[in-house]
Formats: sequence, structure tokens, C-alpha cells
Amino acid sequence: MLNFLRFIGLLLLLPGLVALGYSVYQGPAAWAVDSSTFWGTPISLFVFWIGLAHAGTLLSAIFLALDIKMDKRTAMMAELSTLCSLAIAVIFPLMHLGVLDRFYMVLPLADARANFSNIRSPLVWDFCCIGVYGILSLLFFGTHLGAKTFSGLKKIRKPLAWLLFPLVLWVHTVVSLDFAASFVPEWAGAFFPVYFIVGAVYSGIALVCCILWFEGYRMRLLEKLLMISSWILCAIWLWNFAAQRTFCTSAFIFAGLLPQLYWVESIRETRIGRICIYLSVLLGLWLERLFLVSPNLGTTAGASFGWVDLGLIAFSAGAFILAFTSIRGGLGSAMEGESTFFGEVDSTDMATSADGSEEDEALDPADEKNYVEPWASHETRTLRFPLFVGFSVATFFCIWCAAQLNFDNIELSLANVIPLVYPIAALVAAFIVCGKAYVNEVRPNFGSVQLRHRKVMHVVAVLLLIMFGSLLGAFYAGGKSAPSNQEVAAQPYNFENTEGDLIGDADSSAQEISAPRAALIWNSRCATCHGTDGKFNEKFIREYYPVPQKLDSARIDSIGVDSLVNVILNGRANMNAYGNRLSGSEARGLVRYMQQLAKEAK
Amino acid sequence: MALVGLLQGCKKGQLGDGAGTGSGERLSAFMKRCEDEVRLAVSEAHGRMDLVKVPMPKEMKGSLAGFSAGSAREASVNRFGMAIDLDLCNGCGKCILACNTENNVALVTDEEAARGRFMHWIDMRGGAPFMCAHCGDAPCEKVCPTGAANHTPDGISAMMYKRCTGSRFCGANCPAKARKFNFNDAQELGLVRKLNYDVPLREKGVMEKCSLCLHRLQNDRMRFKTEAAIAGSNAEWRGRGVKTACAEACPRNAIVFGNWLDPESPLVKAAQGRQLYAPRELAEHDPAVVFMMGKR
Amino acid sequence: MTPFVNALACLLCLASAMFLWRYKSSFYRNSLLLVGFMIIFGVFTFFGGEMFEAGSIPMLEHYPFKMLALSLCFSTTSLAVRRRRYMVLAQVFWLWIELFGGISLFYRGFDIAWTRIIAIAGIAFFSSLLSKISKEMEFCLMVFWIAVWIFF
Repeated sequence: MLNFLRFIGLLLLLPGLVALGYSVYQGPAAWAVDSSTFWGTPISLFVFWIGLAHAGTLLSAIFLALDIKMDKRTAMMAELSTLCSLAIAVIFPLMHLGVLDRFYMVLPLADARANFSNIRSPLVWDFCCIGVYGILSLLFFGTHLGAKTFSGLKKIRKPLAWLLFPLVLWVHTVVSLDFAASFVPEWAGAFFPVYFIVGAVYSGIALVCCILWFEGYRMRLLEKLLMISSWILCAIWLWNFAAQRTFCTSAFIFAGLLPQLYWVESIRETRIGRICIYLSVLLGLWLERLFLVSPNLGTTAGASFGWVDLGLIAFSAGAFILAFTSIRGGLGSAMEGESTFFGEVDSTDMATSADGSEEDEALDPADEKNYVEPWASHETRTLRFPLFVGFSVATFFCIWCAAQLNFDNIELSLANVIPLVYPIAALVAAFIVCGKAYVNEVRPNFGSVQLRHRKVMHVVAVLLLIMFGSLLGAFYAGGKSAPSNQEVAAQPYNFENTEGDLIGDADSSAQEISAPRAALIWNSRCATCHGTDGKFNEKFIREYYPVPQKLDSARIDSIGVDSLVNVILNGRANMNAYGNRLSGSEARGLVRYMQQLAKEAK
Repeated sequence: MALVGLLQGCKKGQLGDGAGTGSGERLSAFMKRCEDEVRLAVSEAHGRMDLVKVPMPKEMKGSLAGFSAGSAREASVNRFGMAIDLDLCNGCGKCILACNTENNVALVTDEEAARGRFMHWIDMRGGAPFMCAHCGDAPCEKVCPTGAANHTPDGISAMMYKRCTGSRFCGANCPAKARKFNFNDAQELGLVRKLNYDVPLREKGVMEKCSLCLHRLQNDRMRFKTEAAIAGSNAEWRGRGVKTACAEACPRNAIVFGNWLDPESPLVKAAQGRQLYAPRELAEHDPAVVFMMGKR
Repeated sequence: MTPFVNALACLLCLASAMFLWRYKSSFYRNSLLLVGFMIIFGVFTFFGGEMFEAGSIPMLEHYPFKMLALSLCFSTTSLAVRRRRYMVLAQVFWLWIELFGGISLFYRGFDIAWTRIIAIAGIAFFSSLLSKISKEMEFCLMVFWIAVWIFF
């Protein structure tokens, strides 16, 4: 089965890669872009895959947090599917950018040139939330895998699950805010957070059901949840119709009506019937995302769906299948618990039904018999303290943001930064929880690990370090650490004495203007980039232009006055032409002034 | 990443090295293409403007009030804008051509022209020119992730092309869809000439829109400040005497450019006693470019 | 939406909460009830808030979901086990709808009801510290929720 899936994955991936390569080369003109929203297939794919990425955490972490029992194999499958779909989801917003190599400017960290992203933008929240979600999902998956070797890691699974529970909802909420916070009439919806999360959960469960289908078993609990989400989503679509008068019929048919065939026993109980239902749900939800992102699709002014769009879809599906099957094959039995299930599994029921499953001692100190002081309890130590530290860090971050240069002139409201608070808090808290577990559980027992595993761990650590380093590199990017403090002097000379020189005869180009006038022109026209003293305005040029030539008297002398005048008047490379703003005599004066500056600089 | 940044820095000629002289096409032929495209755009213009009454634009609401004490920059006394007189305008489209040549606006390929996807900063809507309204409370600026869309202290909603990553969120969030995206590498396709050296050519993948002829204002400001320094006066620059390319080109003087905060400005004088309008979707965002029709 | 209709909505939530999580009621029954309530709340908002009129207020966009959250809050008081946990979760659900609904409306030019959000956040946090929820405490919580709904 794995080999067959790999074949299918390759079959989809290879043409998909062509489409991906073409669209990166060609830019946003390659795929269908909606005329009014400027967005298209990549963003629909992003929303779709990020929705699928919620299934794992939802099933694994939330079920764990709410004490719903689930076997290890299903949980691991779900977690792995989260990681794979997340990795695919992040490709799309990046490739959709017009200028790819500037993507790091979106991160809300001041770079070496003291530039700061616009933290009010939902895209910045998106970037951070998804990053944090990826890191935490990886940690969660890693702890689950490592719990086989280091039994102590089991203890931190539950605190991590409680951290991931709100985070998973938060991430998709922020994705929904990309739409809900905008002025596009089709995206106006304060209810989008609920809407998106129900859609994400629905598609995610369908994906996990598919995976279990390929593994050869089914879980009735998941199927139940699938049906329930389909009803809730239909109700939300109705409300969406009432609020906006738009309705996606194809999504309703594929994800609303067709899944109800589940109630026909002959379909439910055959393997073909079940997989058809799951795939129909996935298809319907993909159509819904496409409809949402490009509301004008199909109209004359709207986008037209071409081979690149189909190729991108094929790429995402193929890459997911390949990544999932290879990791699944590579990990093999490490992903399975003691008992391996086949056929039909129904291990549990929802905790909300009043069967009173056993209380978990680890996180529930609310036992009336042995009362624990709130601040000394286990819960406080394992979860509340790291969260408290996390929230403090997040608060400091917000204050630091408000102190950034950008926000001198722009009002930064609390609502602009709140979406970043929880991801930051969760990241810090998760690092504290895992760091503690590493110090207490992993390091003392490190000697007992097999050599092979130890090597793998080292490789992973080195890879992480390299990634971190390259991120720092993007922020440094050859820049200086401090912005320029140069002030452009408006009155560099004593005017009383030079009155006669100032308004010289500027018309004849052979003549030169006086030095004070040249200095004034230099300060007003040239100093923005070249600096008042000729030593560059670092912040400006590094951010907006490649660095100009250094003022060097030997170089200036070797080029000669005439050719420098020519550069000033006609421009060269990134130097703008000043021919229609300066006269020849002014340019000549500027060259003289440059020579003087170069001499002074020595 | 650092390497990529480095390589990017080494690339030269991004801002139109020699553009305008390099290609073999003659200037007159290029101008002919520009005119044809404008004619096509005007003839194909669709969409109406749903106008509502607005008061005279004043200082920008909220966001830029902080340009006062404490901030290094002085409090702004300028807010530039325009008023388009709908009683005079006959929709000839001369403003579009003037704008295109002034700002080096790129032509588009035939298939994009067929879709009505022009790069023009001015569109014809309901028989009148429509461009970015430079909203005081601009929705595009709120959602730009990198801060490439930002306000100048003079009330111009400006674009920093070198900081734009092309996420196109601003374009989606503009209620009036006044922003244009550079889908093509116009320089490579020979769709653009550097007709005006004051305005940089835009690279592929960035957003652009009406800049209220920012370069003209900047030139005038520098000239004014240099002269003020020479004269030793402390006068405030109000941008008097500057006109945008479209205002200059309008044969009926239907487009008036000026400074909303300057009572001497031709704009304020022209708008006095007139009823001002703005498109319904923009009216709440404090637009600086408005329409005039009839007496108040 | 008039204050009277708003109060009526609160009553509707209280009434609907009585049907949820009955002893030995099946999973499907509860979720069907939830879906049904959502549709009822939607219809109520549509007509009660006069959303069929063209210039309806965007504030109503997430109103039915707020009602659902309130109804869930009420319903948790009758849970047999894990009352504290689900009570906190239901309140966080309400908080979440209010907060993110508010943020999305904030970007479209409306103010955020901070007092309401802070009140819900406060009560959610403090009820997470409660170790035993007595009948009196339940009553207090319900009164508080109603007060937040109607007055804040």
C-alpha cells in the first residue's frame, strides 16, 4: 500500500513541481488571480492545508487534554499529518509573494537597519502564529516519539497538549482574520473565526479518516465527529448566506449533502463508499476555500483557472502523500503502540457524555479530599508558571513594539497586538516545559540511548542551529547595527559673508557655482543617500538601494570631472539622473564639493 | 539568506539602467502605443461611482497627529489632495496619458489589456477620472505587512517600492481598488521607458498607485528649502505653485491640486462653496482626493 | 437591535441551555440540538436585528454565535462531571468570539467592547481557580453572565 501511495505521490508531484517552478519564475501572473482581491489559488491552497494541519493537534492534543482516550497509532498518524500539511501550507503564502526574497521583512523583529514590520497587519500575525505552531507541533511529535526511550517525557505531554489546544484554534482564527479584518465585501464576517475553525476541523478529520483508511482500519468516533461537523458547517453556511447573500453551491453539495450518504448502511460499511465520502468532503472544502479567496472566479472580469493552478494543487497533494508515506515508512513501528488495530476501532466515547471516566491525577488538583494550595499545586508548577512567564514576555514584546520607530506616527492599539500575545506566550512556555524535561529527564538518561539515535539527535540539533543562523543572517543582511544619526544641516556656512556668491550665474554650464551653494545642493539633493559628509546614510541606502561607491579622492581624480558630471546629470546604475533638476554648472560645483569632502575625509 | 541578500545587492541596473535609450523602438512609436492603450482603456471603462456627500478634508484623523511635539519632525501644516470638478470634466482621458508619461507607468500585454487589467494610475469610472484618494485613515496601510504602504507627514499615502514584498493585501483591502500590481517585468518586455528621470521604474512584483506626483512636491520642497536657507527666512513650505501632471494636462482645468490646510491654495479656493463628493466606499476613510459637483 | 430584543435573546439562551447534556442523552442528540439552536439563533438575529434591511449593522454578524456561547455557558452548570473545566472552556469560547469578532470589526472601523471582554476574561480566569462550585456559586455565575450580556 505504501509503495502504491508513493507512486501516486510521485505522479502528482513531478508535474506539480513544474507548475511550482514556473509560477515562482513567472510570478503571480502565472496562476489565476482574482481581479478584486489580487489573491488566488496559492492562498486557497494555504487556507486548505493549514486547515488540514489542525487535525493532528486537534485529535491528539485536545483529546489528550480533555482525557479522551485514543490509541497511540492513530494519534501519531494525526500528528504526522499535521506536520506534513503544515510544511506544505507554508510554501504557498511564500510563493505567492511578488518579491520572494523580501519575505523576512514580515517578521516582527527589528532587523539590523532598525526596520520593523507593520505589526498591525494580519499577515504578520499569520507569519508568527504559523511559525510557533510549527515549532510546537514538532516538539509535541518529538516528545511523543521520544517517550518510548525516555519515559519521563510522558509527563510533559499533557502540559504541552494544554498549550497546543488554544494555539491550534488561535492559528486558524488569525488565518480567518486575514479575511475578516479586510474591506472586501465577501469577506466581511465577524463570525469568520468560528466558521474557519469548523471548516478546518471538518477537513482535518476527513484527512485523518483517509489516512486510517489506507492504514486499514477505521475509527467510529472520528466518523461521528465528521458527520457532526458537516451539520455545523451547513448551519454556518446558512448564516453566511443570511449575512452576505453569497453561497457556494458546489461546496454545499460535496461537503454538505454527499457526506450524508454515510447514513446509508450499504455505503457506510463498504471501503469504497467510505473513502468516497472522505474525498468528497475534502473536495468540497477545497472548492469552498477557492470560492472564498477568489469571489469573482468564473465571471468575465475574474480569474481563469489554468494548468498552473491544477499543477499547484497536484504539487500540494503529491508532496503531502510523499512526505507522509516516507516518514511513516521510515519510522515504522515507532509510530505504533503495543496493540495494533485492524478493522474497526471504537475505543472511546466523548468525555462529555456522563460516564465519568477516571480523573487524571497529574493536572487536576481540584480534589476536595486533599486540598492543595493553588500556588503550590502541580498544575501551577508545570503549566501556570511557564504560561505566566510566557505572558510576561509577550507583554514586554508588545511594549517594545509600541516603542518602535514606525509607531511614532501611527497609533498602535491593543487590538493590533493581541493576536500575537498567545503565540509568543505559548512559545516561551513550551520552551520552559521542554527545557525542564530535557534537564530532568533526558540528559541524565542520555547514556542509555543507542548510538544511532544519538547521531540522529546531533544531526537534528546542527540543522536547527543552521536554520537559526540563517535567520539571523537575513536580519543582518550586511547592515549596520545602528541607524544613522546624521542631521542634515540647513545652514552650513555663514551667509552674511558670502552673500554675493550665493546667487551666482547658474546658467552657463562651463562656469562653476560657488562652494556654499554646492554644499547646500549637496545637503538637499545628495545627502539622503551619500550623507552630509559623504560617508553614506547607512539606514537609507542599505534598505532601499545597493551601497554606492565610497568617496575616495584617488578614485574621483582618476574618473575625472567630466565623467562625474555626466553621472550626476544622466545617472548610472542606481544613481538617479538629475539632468532636469540640476544645471551643468551646479553638477560641476557638486563634483568640486565631492573632491573637497573626499579630502576632508582623509 | 545572507547570501541571497548579498547576491541581490550585487545585482545592478534594477532601477532602469539605461532604460529609454537601450531599446531599438523609436520614442514616437512608443508614445503612439501609450496613446492607443489609453484610448482603449477609456473606451472600455466600466463601473460607476456611487458618490456621497463629504465635508471638506481637514487634518488627517488620528494616525498622524503624533507628528507634533516629542517627535523629531515638526507638526505638519500640509495635506495635499485634489478635487475633480464633475461639472467641467468630459472624460477625455488626457489626464491618464499625462499621468502615464509623467510617472513612467508601464504598458500591459495584449491579453491583460483584453481583461481590462491596466497599470494606469488613473481609471475612468462613470465618465470621470478616478485615482487613489490618499485616505487619511487608509485601509491599505493598516494591512501592509512590511510597512511599505505608509503615510508621509504631508498626507500622501506613499509606496516604498523597495520594501514591498508583493503580498497584495493592500490591493485586496482597498475598498475602491485603486492599487495596481506589477504582474510583468515591464522593463524586460519593453513595456516601459524611463520617460521621466525623476520617477523610478517599478520592478516586477510590487504594488503601485497614484503618488500625487510626489517627485514634483519633493523637488519643490528642496528648491524652497534651499532658497529659504539662502534668504535666511523661516518660512514654512506649503507646496504652493505645484501641480500634478493630470491637473496640468486637463484641457478644462477640471482637476485642481493643492493643499487642504492652506487657505491660499487654489484647491481650497476652488472647493469653497462647492458640494464635495467621494465614492461611497471611501467616504468613511477621510479621502483627500474628492469630487466637486454643483453649489452647496 | 433594541435592548429588549437583546434581553429576549438572553432568555432564549437560558431556555435552550436546559435541553443540553441531559443525563444519558446521546452524542448525536446533543450535537443535533446544538445545530438546531444555531439555526434558531440565526433566524432570531436575522429578524430580531432586522438584518434583512440593506444597511444592517455589521455588529450583528457574530451575534448568533455569541448566543450559542452564552447558551453553552448556562448549560455547563448542569453538568455532572468536570464542571469546572467545561465551564471555563465555554466562557473562553464566548471570550474568543467576542475578542476576535471585535478585532475584525475594529479593522472595519468599530470600537471594541473592552469592558465586556475584560469582564468575561476575569470571570473565566477566576472560575478556573474555583475548586468547588456550589449551587450558590452557580447562581452567582449565571447572574454575572446575564449582567455581562445585558449591561456591558
